[in-house]
Amino acid sequence: MINFINISKTFTVKKQHIPALHDVSLQVQDGDIFGVIGFSGAGKSTLLRMVNALEKPTDGRIEVDGQDINTLPFSELRKVRKRIGMVFQQFNLLNSKTVYDNIAIPLVLNRVEKKDIQARVLELLDFVELSDKRNAYPAQLSGGQKQRVGIARALATNPSILLCDEATSALDPETTDSILRLLEKINDALNITILIVTHEIHVIQRICNKVAVMELGRVVEHGSVLDVFSNPKQNMTKKFVQTVIADKIPEGIIRVLQRDTRNYKIIKIRFLGENSSDNVLYHINKDFAVETNIVFASVNELQKTVLGIFTIQIIGSDPEIQKVIDYIQHHQLSWQEVTL
Amino acid sequence: MDLGIPYSQIILAAEQTIYMVFVSLAIGTIIAMIMAVTLVLTNDKGILKNKYVYAVLNTVINIVRSVPFIILMVFILPLTKEIVGTRVGTTAALVPLVTFIAPYLTRLFENSILEVDEGIVEAAQAMGASYFEVVWHFLLPEARGSLILSVTTGTIGLLGATAMAGAIGAGGVGDLALTYGYERLNFPLMLFTVVVLVVFVQIIQSFGNHFSSKVRNH
Repeated sequence: MINFINISKTFTVKKQHIPALHDVSLQVQDGDIFGVIGFSGAGKSTLLRMVNALEKPTDGRIEVDGQDINTLPFSELRKVRKRIGMVFQQFNLLNSKTVYDNIAIPLVLNRVEKKDIQARVLELLDFVELSDKRNAYPAQLSGGQKQRVGIARALATNPSILLCDEATSALDPETTDSILRLLEKINDALNITILIVTHEIHVIQRICNKVAVMELGRVVEHGSVLDVFSNPKQNMTKKFVQTVIADKIPEGIIRVLQRDTRNYKIIKIRFLGENSSDNVLYHINKDFAVETNIVFASVNELQKTVLGIFTIQIIGSDPEIQKVIDYIQHHQLSWQEVTL
Repeated sequence: MDLGIPYSQIILAAEQTIYMVFVSLAIGTIIAMIMAVTLVLTNDKGILKNKYVYAVLNTVINIVRSVPFIILMVFILPLTKEIVGTRVGTTAALVPLVTFIAPYLTRLFENSILEVDEGIVEAAQAMGASYFEVVWHFLLPEARGSLILSVTTGTIGLLGATAMAGAIGAGGVGDLALTYGYERLNFPLMLFTVVVLVVFVQIIQSFGNHFSSKVRNH
């Protein structure tokens, strides 16, 4: 478990104080794929780098499996670091060494015996599907292949935590997908907790179970991906979520609605998982004296759960509309009224 | 071809030059490597940032490098006497040669090591590497191609300096050119030594380029 407790960080450059993090508290549970999202300069990388003490907080504590890592002596800190793998945006592979030697480095540092190193490296090469590249140099690899080497290297010492600093940001969408699948496999098969920092909401949507949204050094919203994505509260979160989960009524339809002189209300309903029972709409039409009109709908899969967003126009008298709203509330669906 | 002096004397001079270059290069490289690594680790962005160590070392290197070799050589004669027991001869020249080449190589090595991407150091630290391991397993292997070229440049600079070492009776090819070629107006000998020096430099540079590109072309 990684526990950030009231973390603040101020960088001092040429006697100027630049605040990077402000009172950040987060908990990453074992087995999580925890995503931290924000624009560049939001402080997310700084936060990530605190987990293995590459960066030290000005205030607050970081506990990794219950140990406050900033109070550890250097030799103990090094032991903790060996249990935390790290993957970088720019891969940070040694260009002077082959793929094999790059993956072997953490094991060499651990004074592992040569034949055990070989067994482990071959196993890792197989795991990241690069067995045929063992004697290649990084310069001969594509971005995706380099990142696979980076991941294999990070896994060499069997860490319990994997830190990914914009691990897919230098890759094209297709390669990003294959790296994300690999990360998912790592979390699943090796039971490694993953903390990933990114500015791509797509990454969060694709593999994370928890998310924290950062803006100007603060965590503005956090929780399970399902909760945050289905009901984003902060503007920053909405901005991100809207790019992958559309819930805006198209302009053309808005113009049509504005010309509509009948008495109506527009309501956005979210269906999550099992309660995505579409017959709610059927019952509204059948049991109430209203007419409904779907003005927008989207269905997305998140964490293997279906998230449906329906925006409907309910036309009828005010008391009837109120009955419909009571009905929706009774079914414990999340809803909100939309004003144009 | 008659060069006016016995061949044995030419061979001796060549041996003296090679001896001075390689012994001072070996010692100078070790000292320079330690100083360069210290500079890189203690500089403002270094992982062992220490402005006092950096400032002192940086200043000392600058001071030594400001003194022309011929002056440095006579200036440190007392030190030479202290270390090798004599002020003259080939071995005595090693002290000023090392004093001259170590700071020069330090600067070249420092640049080579600074070329290594900071991300490599970060990756090393994330792996739990000790400071020594960061240098040994990451910085130096990554800088190797550039370091080889730095040694090459240093070797050629050293070859030039050995010519002046004749001033304290160190002998060598340069001394031969000055005492026999210049002072006795023996032009063929002068020409011969120049050719020999040119060939030396070409060979050293070719070796350097070859090994550097071998480790770089991955």
